[in-house]
Amino acid sequence: MSSTRSARSRRASRALWLFPVPALALYLFFFAYPTVQAVQYALTDWDGYSAAYRSVGLDNFRQLATGDDVFRNAAENNLKLMVVVVLAQTALALLLALYLVRTTRASTVLRALFFLPTVLSSVAVAFVWRFVYDPDGGLLNSGLRAVGLGNLQSVYLGNPDTAVYWLALTQVWFHAGQMMVVFIAGLQAIPRELYEAAELDGAGRLARFRYVTWPLVAPATGIVVAYTTVQSFKAFDLVLGLGGNPPGPALDLLSTRVYTTFSNNQFGYAAAQSLLFMALIALLTWVQRRAIRRATR
Amino acid sequence: MSRTLDRRAALRLFTASGLGLGLAACAGPGGGGASPAAGNSPSAPATSGAVKGTVSFAHWRAEDKAVIAELVKAFVKKHPDAAVEQDISPSADYQSTALRRIQGSKTGDLFTAFRGAQFQQIVKAGVYAPLTGTDVVGRYRASLVTPGAQAGQQYGLPYQLVFNMPLANTDALDRAGHTSAPKDWNGFLQLLDDLKAKGFTPIAWPGGDTANAGQLLNTMVMNNAPSGDMFTKIESGVYRVTDDWFLKTLEQYAQLAPYFQDRATGSTTDAVTQLFASGKAGLLATGSFQMAGVRALGAKFPFDLVAPITTTAQQAKYEGVFNATFILGVNSASKAQPAAYAFLEFLSDPVNAAVYANGTGQHVTVEGVEYTNADLKAVSPWLARRTLLAPRFQFLDLDIRSAVENAAVAVVGGKKPAQAAEEAQRVIDQKRA
Repeated sequence: MSSTRSARSRRASRALWLFPVPALALYLFFFAYPTVQAVQYALTDWDGYSAAYRSVGLDNFRQLATGDDVFRNAAENNLKLMVVVVLAQTALALLLALYLVRTTRASTVLRALFFLPTVLSSVAVAFVWRFVYDPDGGLLNSGLRAVGLGNLQSVYLGNPDTAVYWLALTQVWFHAGQMMVVFIAGLQAIPRELYEAAELDGAGRLARFRYVTWPLVAPATGIVVAYTTVQSFKAFDLVLGLGGNPPGPALDLLSTRVYTTFSNNQFGYAAAQSLLFMALIALLTWVQRRAIRRATR
Repeated sequence: MSRTLDRRAALRLFTASGLGLGLAACAGPGGGGASPAAGNSPSAPATSGAVKGTVSFAHWRAEDKAVIAELVKAFVKKHPDAAVEQDISPSADYQSTALRRIQGSKTGDLFTAFRGAQFQQIVKAGVYAPLTGTDVVGRYRASLVTPGAQAGQQYGLPYQLVFNMPLANTDALDRAGHTSAPKDWNGFLQLLDDLKAKGFTPIAWPGGDTANAGQLLNTMVMNNAPSGDMFTKIESGVYRVTDDWFLKTLEQYAQLAPYFQDRATGSTTDAVTQLFASGKAGLLATGSFQMAGVRALGAKFPFDLVAPITTTAQQAKYEGVFNATFILGVNSASKAQPAAYAFLEFLSDPVNAAVYANGTGQHVTVEGVEYTNADLKAVSPWLARRTLLAPRFQFLDLDIRSAVENAAVAVVGGKKPAQAAEEAQRVIDQKRA
């Protein structure tokens, strides 16, 4: 009797271990294998199609670290974009969520309106915003002229000092609604009793936010910040739509840089850029998550 | 004998799988994935076999789809056992992915290539079945098919012919008192002044669109540079963008800045095309390839082409530039090679080439084509003028090309020419290292 049970338990255990196999196989084939390959390509000067290639050791990484102004410019643009988008998008999404967390007819409509851009295609968004930013007949400059503020007209995407911030504005408009939903879910999970207790203790609106909302919405903030960081690094189609292919130096980001390098048939160098890019995102996400955990402890 | 798959065994299994995949990955770039033709010298296409099977025609001109479909109908009528399927990608995608797609002939029995880097990469990859010695080459104007040749071998046939030089509204030029094109730089600046005085935007320039902002550079350097292969020499390090001739070009860009539409460095091609089509601009600094698009926007005025002559009349070697992208080639690995070659022959027939040209509003390099399209007719005299093969496509490295083109955009945006040149040269030096 006990041996039958033990055999059944062994069978069950064996079956349990088989469940993750398909997922792991997919992971190994579609992630581990290409990653290992990318590492190997990054150590060569392969052009992407020739049978012949040369091993160049760490030269590709050395060049990235010391002698590639174009890559450095893209990295700087990306960091600027990340800082602005993470701060602006997180703040805006949280404000919207705080305002719209109560379910009323008006808030339901507003939530849908703010969420709407998220469901649009990024290419369509890029084309619409290209029209908004167009310095000749675009919406922004036409609007400024119409209200007598023609002297404030700008070149927007054509100014290398500010173009990335206009890209950030588009990105915040595009994704803030999505992040708002994450915050709403986080806010709705906070027990009402905590607010009631805080109110009884005489806490004002700001104090309730500081001591109840903020600590309890921290996990959602962590998700939003991490997601927004990754999103700002992966911005690609939006940039090509707004800045052309390849985008000029004002809008060149790491993602478009990797794409241009692949297009330039520098497969090995592009692979090195991709690996650096991946490491950078992982590092930034880790740093941010730690910082948020500390800040909300 | 039954064995339990415990945690340790499962981990061993996954580690072994991971190592196996890792080792497989280490088999080497190109290993297994490279074309069998790579590195070989492919033989001429089969020109005499039975014309049967489906030809995949890979190209990027979606706007030509209907005209090509019409030609395919006529081709199939002539060769009932054959069929042609158009495989169209957006031009930017085509530029970056075509080689990988046509290598091995999964697609593109007959395919097109951009002049310059893409053409050279496809030659290097051994994908072209060389056309030297085939009858079809003789149907083209010999002087216009050089972009499809390398080392004495004709790999592809540049089909479409464009002039990458400013398109002119001749009504506007007439109103400004200019019935003929200026012969030197001062004359060109005078023309721009006169256009401005008549209320026109002298030059509509898409400075915010990298793909088209660089077109003006073709004509700006054609007479300034010491040789016709100036950008090849910049890329190889023989010339530098800090050399006098290029600094002069950048200084001339600075002189042009007041004649572009306001805030030109942010303008898109769509916006400036609209500006030109509405009759508000005298020149559109892109190329003849936009004639059909400008007409589609309702322009009623006649066209011509007017290039800036940046030197004195005596020093000017060229009146303008031409380019021949859309280089047709037969895939060396095609399983339908006789049919692909037959379709190439069909497109190279002057009657069929005329259908293509008049239907798409683009000139072609085929000899003896009769243009019935009024705009093509008007610009046809340029086929016989002193024109240089468009220089910007000499760049094989996109980063170097961007650096040079962006130097011009930056100068229009207010940067000092010397500073813009130094910054561009720094990028060039790094990319050449």
